[in-house]
Amino acid sequence: MSSNKVYVIGYGLTKFGELYNRGPISLAAQALTDAITNSQIDKNQIQTAFFGSLVSGSNSQPSIGTSCIRNCNLNIPTSRIEAGNASGAAAFYQAYLSILSGAYKCIAVVGVEKLSDYVKSGIIERILGSTIDYQWEFEMGATLTSLYAILTKAHMKEFGTTLEQLASVPAKNHKNGVHNPQAQFRREISIENFLKAKRISDPIGRFDPATYCDGAAAVILASAKFIEDNSNIPTQVPILGSGQASESIALHHRDSLTTISSSVKAANIAFSEAKLSAKDINFAEVHDSYPIGEILAIEDLGFFAKGKGGKASQEGLTELNAEISVNPSGGLKSRGDPFGATGIAQIAEVVEQMRGSAGQRQVSDNSCGLTQNVLGTGAMSYVNIFGKDEVKK
Amino acid sequence: MESPKIWRERRERYLGIGNNCLDCKEKSFPRSDYCLKCSSKNIEEYKLARTGKIIQFTQVTQSAQEHIICSPFIISLIELDDGIQVTGQIVDHNYDDIKEGMKVRMIFRVLSKDGEEGLVKYGFKFEPY
Repeated sequence: MSSNKVYVIGYGLTKFGELYNRGPISLAAQALTDAITNSQIDKNQIQTAFFGSLVSGSNSQPSIGTSCIRNCNLNIPTSRIEAGNASGAAAFYQAYLSILSGAYKCIAVVGVEKLSDYVKSGIIERILGSTIDYQWEFEMGATLTSLYAILTKAHMKEFGTTLEQLASVPAKNHKNGVHNPQAQFRREISIENFLKAKRISDPIGRFDPATYCDGAAAVILASAKFIEDNSNIPTQVPILGSGQASESIALHHRDSLTTISSSVKAANIAFSEAKLSAKDINFAEVHDSYPIGEILAIEDLGFFAKGKGGKASQEGLTELNAEISVNPSGGLKSRGDPFGATGIAQIAEVVEQMRGSAGQRQVSDNSCGLTQNVLGTGAMSYVNIFGKDEVKK
Repeated sequence: MESPKIWRERRERYLGIGNNCLDCKEKSFPRSDYCLKCSSKNIEEYKLARTGKIIQFTQVTQSAQEHIICSPFIISLIELDDGIQVTGQIVDHNYDDIKEGMKVRMIFRVLSKDGEEGLVKYGFKFEPY
């Protein structure tokens, strides 16, 4: 066991969806408590907690961590990390660095979002607007969906990507999500239904975007030393590499509309740290908030050549146990997208797949998994690479 | 929508004022206190080119509340003749009539309205010519 590795030792997930009878603190506390139980550690072994959230609590208690740990009967320092839709992955990255630095041995990371509280009175649109350039995109009239529509059109124009190819992405993710008990939408949607849906921002149709919703997810990170001292911990999924990178938040400041350069950079950092390449990855949880998001992701992460992502999706190469299993959980599309929770839920899925306990959505080759979480149209990207559970019990 | 915010952005929103760096000649938008490229404070105000072309565009049918007075509308990436790119709405045309590469000129319009009794915000949009 390499002494400077960081391990994910357990996770907790709430159901994702419109959870009107639950507040953000209660969701976060449930995910954290479940993660502690799942890790089979004593809760007092956790030294600090990082919370990833875009807006949850901003209408009442912005420092969600302080209330959450009270609800879990813990007394540890907490920090809140914000990176838009990628807040969960951002919090995870800070926790990872904190363990690597030697400052901590055991950290909880909680991602939470409670978006159904903001649906009335148009606040949700401003929240979505905060994930793009608020002043010079959102206030000029652009929406997150319209900017993804522009990215979609650019890809269609440059590479001949078709609407059928695009629709095969969410159709595949819904097929996987049927088997995910935590997912918001556990039903299949046919390619025809995606194609005949009304266009909300041409060429993006009514059914194409992942829906924003409520939910929380938590994971526990531990150092190699912590695991040595607690030999009864059953799950030890090593983080082989992790990277974050940025890109201009506004599309009008970018060199290319057919690549998310922050994802390319973050992946390069993660792959180089892991001493692996894209072909070593067996399954990936990527940011499919729009169909083009997944197509750009599988190209930018190096799974398929630039411009071939649409064709690969249509040919089924990203289906469960095909060439590479992309979004075995159902992705953001089927699972639902509570922004801060999404990045952590992706990592929770990797842990479940590594344990071999993912049921009907289990990938057959689970030796190497990847997650990719994106802010807005790619202003920030976070990529993590995970190895196989090192000790089986 | 806060009135101080509208007031402090008035020169950028109403006139399209950015920076021209007298040291490295970099032009940028919006205005700032130093050059975004070389950090020099030796800068002058610069007025964006009034014409440009459409790079890519789409239609917004589900807009934010404050933009609903104009909805549905066309949103576009515009490359101005001075090379600077901005995001803006295309007015007075149907979606099907707009093509990439179309020449546009900057015009002054209502951008958004904060409810029935709220503030009206003005800014630049574009029309094909």
